[in-house]
Amino acid sequence: MTHALFSMDGFRRGVRDGVPLGFSIFAYGLGFGLVAAQAGYGVGKAVLTSAAIYSGSAQLAAMNLLQTGEATLWALFATILVINARYLLFGAALQPWLWQAGKLRAYGSLLLLGDSNWMLTMRMIRAGEEDRAYLVGTGMPISVGWLGGTGLGAAAVAVLPRPEAMGFDLMLAAFAVSMVTAMTKSRSDLMPVIVGAGVALGVAQLVGPAPAIIAAGLAGGAIAALGAGERA
Amino acid sequence: MTDSFPIQLAVMTAAAFLCRMAGFTLMRFVPLTPRVEAALRATPLAVMSGIVALALMKGGLAEGLALSAVAAFTLATGRDVTAALVGVAVVAALRWVGV
Repeated sequence: MTHALFSMDGFRRGVRDGVPLGFSIFAYGLGFGLVAAQAGYGVGKAVLTSAAIYSGSAQLAAMNLLQTGEATLWALFATILVINARYLLFGAALQPWLWQAGKLRAYGSLLLLGDSNWMLTMRMIRAGEEDRAYLVGTGMPISVGWLGGTGLGAAAVAVLPRPEAMGFDLMLAAFAVSMVTAMTKSRSDLMPVIVGAGVALGVAQLVGPAPAIIAAGLAGGAIAALGAGERA
Repeated sequence: MTDSFPIQLAVMTAAAFLCRMAGFTLMRFVPLTPRVEAALRATPLAVMSGIVALALMKGGLAEGLALSAVAAFTLATGRDVTAALVGVAVVAALRWVGV
């Protein structure tokens, strides 16, 4: 198999586009660092957690659970699994494009995958990005921001303002709005947008927010698959 | 429940790693028919739209205005990443003035 383009150029493009994300993830990292410090984690423990799990939403949910004092290992495992199940869809959506980079590069890239650079990369793939190193590039400033933010948040818990006051709890949603706006180019793109929003709201009412996101993705994909069958 | 941090961290890391790798790995064995392709193409839009819908449901006026500003800024300038940061600034300002 000839591998797809994976060059320094694409990597640099990714780093450049990832820098603004890195700043906002830095603020998110501060938020996790604060929470971890309040739960008695030192800087080293907090940064190690951020490096190993590498998912803010999952870590915050796990900290919540740990602070109840009734967390079992199974409950911890299940919590992360439910919160991060959206990564199953992230990986699946990336696969046809990323796999062409070759096994090692593809799986290596997945280690630096997060919500924001997944959205950004999916958008750039649609705009014709061919260089598979782009994804890893976007992951660089994000991981620096995430780990740096976690460390500083855990160290400076007493003096920092709450991240909510700075608006960073809305970062992911704001980013999603901008990506959806930029990616919706035709009427057929509107269907998954409408279905995703509707299903997410319904499932969130009935079950909870984490399954709602997964249900939205699955429903949007299913509707599009049915539509493709009609046209074929 | 063990209080050992290394064991807790190992368990959580395993779950996160599984999610990160499994969807990608499974897709290697799914043939890329037009239906599957259409589904994968629609999935990001549906996921992101779901994230936005939940944020609107949970948030109030400040969040709604900030997210509307993001969409308007993206449409006006085409600079989507900047637009998201503008949205964060808008919500921070609105909360500061007490909206």
